[in-house]
Amino acid sequence: MRPLAPLTYLVRNAGKTIPLIGVIVLAVLLVCGIISLINSIPLSIRVIYSYNKEFLGVSPRGDPTQTPRIVADIKKNSPIPVERAIICRATTNQVKSIVGKWPFVVVGLGQEDMIWYLRRQLSKGLEGRMPTPGAPEALVSKPVARNLSLGIGSVLLSPDSNESYSPMPVKVVGIADTDRWLMFTSIEYQQENHSPPIDLAMIFAKDVQQQAKLDLWAEAHFKGQRAQLWAYHQIEKNTQEMFATLYQILNVVIGTLALVITIMMGMLMNIYQSQRLVEFGLLQAIGYTKKQLLRRVLIESVVVVIAGWIIGMVVGYGLLILAQKLMMEPKSFALNPADPTAFAYTIPIPFAILVVAIATVVLRFRSFDPVGIVERRLV
Amino acid sequence: MIRARSASLVYQDHGRDVFACRDIDLEVRENEFLGILGPSGSGKSSLLYLLSGLKTPTSGDITLGDRSLASMSDEERSRLRLSEFGFVFQQPYLLGYLSALENIVIADPHGSNPKAEASQMLARLGMAEKAHRQPHELSGGERQRVCVARALLGSPKVIFADEPTAALDHVNGAAVVELLNTLRGNGSLVMVTHDESMLGAADRIVRLADGVLVQALG
Repeated sequence: MRPLAPLTYLVRNAGKTIPLIGVIVLAVLLVCGIISLINSIPLSIRVIYSYNKEFLGVSPRGDPTQTPRIVADIKKNSPIPVERAIICRATTNQVKSIVGKWPFVVVGLGQEDMIWYLRRQLSKGLEGRMPTPGAPEALVSKPVARNLSLGIGSVLLSPDSNESYSPMPVKVVGIADTDRWLMFTSIEYQQENHSPPIDLAMIFAKDVQQQAKLDLWAEAHFKGQRAQLWAYHQIEKNTQEMFATLYQILNVVIGTLALVITIMMGMLMNIYQSQRLVEFGLLQAIGYTKKQLLRRVLIESVVVVIAGWIIGMVVGYGLLILAQKLMMEPKSFALNPADPTAFAYTIPIPFAILVVAIATVVLRFRSFDPVGIVERRLV
Repeated sequence: MIRARSASLVYQDHGRDVFACRDIDLEVRENEFLGILGPSGSGKSSLLYLLSGLKTPTSGDITLGDRSLASMSDEERSRLRLSEFGFVFQQPYLLGYLSALENIVIADPHGSNPKAEASQMLARLGMAEKAHRQPHELSGGERQRVCVARALLGSPKVIFADEPTAALDHVNGAAVVELLNTLRGNGSLVMVTHDESMLGAADRIVRLADGVLVQALG
């Protein structure tokens, strides 16, 4: 290692270098952690309600007898082939998220429809059995079971619960092996025990990739008519609108945080370089140019900042994986440890720190007099 | 070789001109040991800084051969100091994170084999076994000897020594001066001191008082 190579100083003064890198690591960690956790909320919405990507939900407004007419209308006029239309009933339940409870639908399906629908929702198998028609029995998917801590025999709906009400305790008899969030009972049970007595329709495109096209067509087709639609793109749109303001506030918070970190780091870098005035004075006195010294200091700063940023991202990724495994996954909470937005938010940090560090060093070097150092006037 | 012509260096002190050096005419000849003697505050260090290009004169000129140091850019003067001059300062300044050997090597970054030359230099100074010690593991005298080795590396044309014995006792100080004088080869040695006893081997001595050359001997 050359004596005046930037790495020589950094490695041999690890006691000074590591805290500097540590501060940048913490800053990056803080920013990517906050963004990842905030992003986990809309991500949870997308994950929990992703079952709706598979079908278009339709219910009549005002006249509950109109469901068959609406289904016939869709089958006749749909621009893309419809594979299946399932008539179902629904009641509400709740699931847990990191920001509280969210509504979730318990779908009442016929036995044959339930089997077909499970396949459509990518179920690879079933622990337990299907609910018996008319019996107070339920089937849930694995994420729901984890989220609500349910096993075979657990109660999903009960007469004592305001949010998960059913006149009889509805017990889980089966757990489907799919990543989609699902809750079912038999349609017969809901017809006998739940209100309102409205038949809903689930319309499935033949090609899943074209489901969104069917959804958009139905929205335009039934505009102003007495039909209510539930489509995944509505969830996406509502989520984006709901979080737009939050992200604006978040941008201000992260911006302020980045500014504070930058000013703090700029001051730290300045102190760090000030401690080396004797070194700079000596080197300039014996013949090193200001440009050479400046270049060396800048390379050192770049190495420190980039190292801090990279380590921060790696440690951040590692900690987010840990948080996902230990805190989120057991409750099926969604978190993306490799969230590109979260890491993109950290990019301004090293640049801002570098700009401040470089500016302070350049200003210092402009008025730097090596004679003052070797004469001990400035130390 | 280096010539000062009516060179003056003026500092501003609360709006008042203070002459650190006034109208100095002096030549540093090839291969000579020139002593600059004077009491504290007489301007001898300022004269050394002018001759070595660390400061530029407020008026007059300093030339190396036919090149005017004042007309050079800051960067050119720096390069000149690194390639042609060696320096020993009052305090034995060494970089704390480098070994004795590395502290010497930094004076000749473009040399063909500065490490080998620095090792030889340390051996000649009787410090071969301390080549890999850090500065804090060396005594004051040893540190100044490392500074001497640094100044001598690359066989500079002129070695400037600014009170190199100030931080040492008399014995160590005399040893350092002797080393500088015997190891400088064909280079000139310009040494500033207030202690005349250190200039016993000088070819020429000039005296300064209040920034003015008052006497030249030899």
